[in-house]
This record gives sequence, C-alpha cells and structure tokens, in this order.
Amino acid sequence: MTLSPKLRNRITIFMMLFPTFLLLIAFYVYPTLYNLQLSFTDITLLQLRQGGDPVGLSNYIEFLTSNSFFDIALNTVFWLTAVTVALRLFLGLCFAILLNSRFLAEIRMTTIARLILLVPWATPPVVAVIAWRWLFDPRHGPINDLLLTTGLIDDPVAFMSNLTTVWPAIVTIVVWNTTPLVAVSLLAALQTVPEDLHEAAEIDGATRWQQFRFITLPFLTPTISVLALMSVIWTFNNFVYVWLATSAGPGTYTNVLATEVYIRAFIDLRLGYSAAIGVTMAVVMAVFGALYFRYFGLTEMQDKVG
Amino acid sequence: MRSYQRQGLSGAIESGGLALGFFVFAVFLLTPAYFVFKGSFENLTVSLVANESGWTLRNYFEIFSAGYFRYVVNSMIVCISATTLACTISLFTAYCLSRFRFRGRMFLFGAIMGGQFFPWIILVNPIFIVFARASLINSQLGLVLCYTAFITPFTVYLLVGYLTTIPKSLDEAAMIDGASRVVVVTKIILPIMWPGMVAAATFGFLQCWSEYLLALALITDNDLKTIPLGLYQYFGDVQTDWGAVMAGSVVATAPTLLLFLPLQRKLVSGLTAGATK
Repeated sequence: MTLSPKLRNRITIFMMLFPTFLLLIAFYVYPTLYNLQLSFTDITLLQLRQGGDPVGLSNYIEFLTSNSFFDIALNTVFWLTAVTVALRLFLGLCFAILLNSRFLAEIRMTTIARLILLVPWATPPVVAVIAWRWLFDPRHGPINDLLLTTGLIDDPVAFMSNLTTVWPAIVTIVVWNTTPLVAVSLLAALQTVPEDLHEAAEIDGATRWQQFRFITLPFLTPTISVLALMSVIWTFNNFVYVWLATSAGPGTYTNVLATEVYIRAFIDLRLGYSAAIGVTMAVVMAVFGALYFRYFGLTEMQDKVG
Repeated sequence: MRSYQRQGLSGAIESGGLALGFFVFAVFLLTPAYFVFKGSFENLTVSLVANESGWTLRNYFEIFSAGYFRYVVNSMIVCISATTLACTISLFTAYCLSRFRFRGRMFLFGAIMGGQFFPWIILVNPIFIVFARASLINSQLGLVLCYTAFITPFTVYLLVGYLTTIPKSLDEAAMIDGASRVVVVTKIILPIMWPGMVAAATFGFLQCWSEYLLALALITDNDLKTIPLGLYQYFGDVQTDWGAVMAGSVVATAPTLLLFLPLQRKLVSGLTAGATK
C-alpha cells in the first residue's frame, strides 16, 4: 500500500511534533487546569489520594480578605518587582553606556568589562544568594568588617533580619544577579545606533544630553520595553531569591506571592488554598503575557517562521 | 554608536566620571564572587577563634568526604538527560515549525513562546499531586521529565531561529535524491546547525543546573538531591558551616562560568531579536 505524498507529510508532521505536544499538554496545560480545579477544593497534602471536597470560592475569599494579603501583594509588586526591575534597567543602561564608551576602549578594558559582566550572570541564583548572605553576615561578613573597622557603625548590622535593611538586601541580590543580562542586551541595541546621526547632531551643536535624549534613547526604547516586560514576568513569579535569602522572614515580613504559594502548600499542607493563590498570580501574569504578545511576540513569530 | 571624546576640561571630567563608573561597576559585580572564592580556601572555623589565616583545601575535602560528590553526580545525571531529551525533541519540532505550513502552527509556536514565561511556581502543586499518585516523587526520572518540559520552550525557540537561516533548497535537493524527512533532519540539517544545537544544549543544561524549586518539591531523599538542594543543607538552624557552603558554591559555579563564556552573545541576540527590528 502506498500513501499519498500529502498524507505522508501529515504523518511526518504529526510524528515530529508529537513529543513536544505531549510535553506541553502534560506539563503546562493539564497542570494549569488541574490547579484551577484544586483551587476550588480543600485538598491537603495529607489526603492526596482521596482528594478534597469542593468549597466553591472560599479559598479565594479567604486569601483576598486575609490580613496578610495586602502586605504580600505590596512586597511582591513594589519591592520584588517594581524596585528591582527599575533598578536593573537603570543600572543596565549605565553599564551598557559604560561598556560602549570610547574611554573604555582607549584604556583597553572593553573585553575585561564584558568578562566582569559575565560573572554575576553565570552565577546560579542559589549561589548568588549564598554569596550575598556571606557578605551581609553579621558575625564575620566582609561588609560588617569594613563598616566596623572604618568606624561607620559600632555594632554589627544583621542586614538579613533587620526590618529596615532586609528588603534593600534582597533587592541587591536580585539586581546583582539579573542586571548583566539587561546590560548586554542594551549594549547590543546601542551598537545598532548609526554613528552618523551623532556626527550630524554634533555638527548642529547638540549637547551630549540632547544626543542621548533624542537619538540614543528612541533607538533603545523598544529593547527597553521588551526587557522591562520580560523582567516583570520573570521577577513577579520568582520564588528562589526571597526563599533562600530570608525564607520570607523575619517572621513573614518579606513574604511574596511565590513564597506564600510554597508555604501554604508544603508547610501548612493546604494545597487547595495554595492553588487559589497560584491562580490569582496566573491571572495577573496573563495580562503581562498578553501585552508581550500584543507588542512583541507576534512580530517576532512572523520574523522567525513567517 | 561610539561616543566622541571631548577635549579639555569637559573631556577630563567625562573620563574621570567614566573611570569612576568602571571602578564601581567592577567592585559591585566582582566583590561577592571574590569573597566566596577567597572564603572557600580559608580556614574559617579556626580563624574565628585564634585569628589564624592562610590558605587551605580543608573546606573542599570536608564537603567531598561528606557526600557532596553525590549531589554533583545527581545534578549531572538529571541535567544531561533532560538536556539531551529536550534537544532531540526540539530539533524535530523546530524543523516542523520552520518548514511546514499546517493548521494550528502559529498557535503551537505561540504556546511554545509563552511557555518560556510560564510561572512554574503555580505548576508545582498539581505536578506534585500527579507525581505523588504516580510514585514519581524522589525519582530522577520524574525530575528529568519536569526539566525537559521546563527547558523545551526555549530550546525550540532558539533552534527555530537557527533553522530560518538554513535555506530550504537544501532539504528539497536531498528529497529529490530520495531522502525522507527524518533523514533530511538527521543527515543534512543537524550537521549544519550543530552550533545552534550546542547553544541550545548549553542553555538548557545551565537552566537545569541552577533549578531549585522543582527539585525542592520533588526530591527529599538525600541520595537523590541535586547541587542547589545539597548546598542549602549547610545552612543549619543554629549555625552555618560557611567554609563548606562556599567551597560547594565554587564547585557549583565553575561549570556554569565555563559554559557561559562562548554562549552569551548568542543568548542576547535570541532574547531581544524582535525588539531591535
């Protein structure tokens, strides 16, 4: 029996796509839907096999009206996301301009600077947190050593358990670990700005700030927008930095949505309640995901496969 | 763009500012790595009491005699398996997406793009329940499957980008000579896009290597723990064995630094390609 070429093509396509298709269904689509279903039950870790009883919207109501909701939302939106994304874009832009400057090329440091940028970037988040916890350590951490010997402080500061310093400390860790990616992306964009535009502006008497404001920045805006959007999506859901730095402490002072999901599921054992928090997060993220596709994703897909 | 060097006083101020900026840049980015590296060779427990200093390999001996090697092996097994699996299926998927036109093609590609941003924290509960029922908790197979799913969106995405640069006429020539599609992919396409495969594999491996959340939820058996989990064991409730933690950190980071070196440029062009058009 011979198959028509069209049918053979279809079989080939099916066979080639099947494993990825299966993976997407099994690890993305099904768990998402299952999570949605769990969020309407009171399932706990102790009664996994029999499952939970339906409780309607009570998990959502409990979470959204709980005392801690406002703190958790504020921590996630402001400290973990807004502050770190703003800082990493700003610092990333500064670093990119520095790396692109003629000064650095003249002192033959451009390659060295790129290698320096690589160090935090290649550091796994787990190790990044360890490194900074060591720097911030109150008993023999280098930062306290420095501050004590220079006489700036009289007693060691426990940066990670002091309420005024704990968030800035976590922000530092996130920014240290994630800024290089932003910097290198912006550097790549900077190098696409045509040089003759600057020459023309220079001849017309434009100041350095005007050149940056009216030539460089407009060229960078699309890259900055993509980076901002992707950074927001990655950071909003991030679990590892806060969990490893403070375990959401002291107390629950640095609790964010992602750590709340984990704590409710694996410490309080309330999987259903935790699932409801996860769904709430997913709804927020869906908005950002839609923005990404609306402004960048679709064009990019067209570019890639036509 | 390369900015112009101003002459005279304003030029001196500008150079000074940039030099200061470079100094701050280097100190901020290198300090944590420097102190971890230095700390891993120091005898911290002794120096606290007797103020002794000096270089030692004690921390490294300590962690490896305490079973750190087990974590390294576990990480290697899981990451290499997941990467191999993900790259294999990604190659065929990427080939289909770039060469065939079929219904649902853009939808599938969109789903794969979206998968890159998917928040795994919300998938942990349902995956944990399914795995618990299927006895896949504390199983390397379970972790490998998760990691494969975790990295596949990005590897497909990277490979699709690479495939668009390979002319379709190559496939057609081979097909006229009677080659099947599978032969085209494995014998014609794969050798050409080997650099792309290496980039995708390196990226996938790095992602798995530093993954913490899924490992934390799915692995509790000490003999199966991966490096990130193993590292955090040294943070005791009362006291932290800093020497061991830092030696372990150096061991965990050395491979990622080496792999990152050739990869960084490719990653950047992949990430923001759509924006710079």
